[in-house]
Amino acid sequence: MDSTAIPSLGARDYKSDLKPVWCPGCGHFAVLSALTRTLAFLALPKHRIAVISGIGCSSRLPAYLDCYGFHGLHGRALPLATGLKAARPDLTVIVTGGDGDGFSIGGNHFLHACRRNLDLTYIVMDNQVYGMTKGQASPTTRPDWRRSRLTPEGTGMQRFKPAAIALAAGAGFIARGFAGDPNGLSHLLAQAIEYPGFAFVQVLSPCQTFRPESREWKTRVHPCAGAPARDPATAAQLMLTDDGMALGLLYAQVLPPFESQPRLEGDDLAAIEAEFAL
Amino acid sequence: MNGEQSGASGTIGSVAELLVHALELEHEAATHYEGLADSMASHHNAEVAALFRRLARRSSERAGDLADRAAGLQLPHIAPWSFKWNCPGNPSDPDCLHAEVGYRMRAVQALRLAIHNERRSHAFYLQVAGSAGEPVVRQLAAELAAVQTEHLTWLADLLAREALTDRPLPEDLDPPQLP
Repeated sequence: MDSTAIPSLGARDYKSDLKPVWCPGCGHFAVLSALTRTLAFLALPKHRIAVISGIGCSSRLPAYLDCYGFHGLHGRALPLATGLKAARPDLTVIVTGGDGDGFSIGGNHFLHACRRNLDLTYIVMDNQVYGMTKGQASPTTRPDWRRSRLTPEGTGMQRFKPAAIALAAGAGFIARGFAGDPNGLSHLLAQAIEYPGFAFVQVLSPCQTFRPESREWKTRVHPCAGAPARDPATAAQLMLTDDGMALGLLYAQVLPPFESQPRLEGDDLAAIEAEFAL
Repeated sequence: MNGEQSGASGTIGSVAELLVHALELEHEAATHYEGLADSMASHHNAEVAALFRRLARRSSERAGDLADRAAGLQLPHIAPWSFKWNCPGNPSDPDCLHAEVGYRMRAVQALRLAIHNERRSHAFYLQVAGSAGEPVVRQLAAELAAVQTEHLTWLADLLAREALTDRPLPEDLDPPQLP
């Protein structure tokens, strides 16, 4: 990255006029700020960016950006983004969502997006809770979390390990950031956007309202020792022994990206219909 | 973050570089306060929303003053992760995880948050004033620290006044679903 280039747009220029409705103190504000600063630093033209999301508090993010966006169905952000990127490989396609949207409802799509390795950046704002529906356990919630009426004894289930699962599914870029460190997060996002393939960034983003104890994450996060791993075996060891609070680029290896062959502009409707004729 | 923070090390070497840091502080503060004002407004906390808007305006005005000072200078473009915040806490990070931030917060808590943030900025300028190699940079940093001191005094006065009329947090009519 050229750190001497003068950007034509500032971070504020990437924000829309719509005001976020997130709770005061929500970590997602910092993610939005980190993303706009990253886009400004990379000097990406607004008309070349598309941000796609599913459903949930974090999935509202595309509305707060002044670029192309699509607020899709629950768990279906990645299929939508896949279709868009396949049709328009020239766009920078960023996918945003939460832990419930991405790892539960959209868990299947997460696996296949990792192995397909289309050039997408997937930012999951992980607050370990379903916030929009008022505080139920999500796939990344601790098994002994008892602060929901739906699971008064905790879920009793092992937590989903996003980084390890992304690695097992074939992702080549896996990182973890923290909303309380937006400058460090900006750095990860810049690397993710520039990575030529599927880049997964898990962001620990505290929910002040339904997980007030997550404020304490700032005392628990720490840089990931030994990262980034360059081979899958080392990365697996690192991720499977990880406490879930290690930050940084955890794994990076350039893998051949999936490249679509979009139609030529000259293709007309009759030619397309002929191709699909039974 | 366990004593760790992102950012570059090294001292600030020029007036232009210091002004970029100062502008970053004020822009981030304004953005942070505006965001808090908006979310307070959407949670019907009009009193604190108005206070945050006032704080945002002050930060924007100070950013305007700094931009005037920077007129004609070739300002370096610094990546968000390459600022030299060599002081405790990262002054450009809005402390979104501050324990007192919440939709029911009152003016007293908002002012305590603002003082917490402004103290970090003040510490940054003092650190530059004491460590920069160039006398002109040290002088500007000391000047900016003095402006920051004035601002802190203003905030402290506001806090003292608000504390006189502070009342308990209002009842939460739609509480989070916690047992």
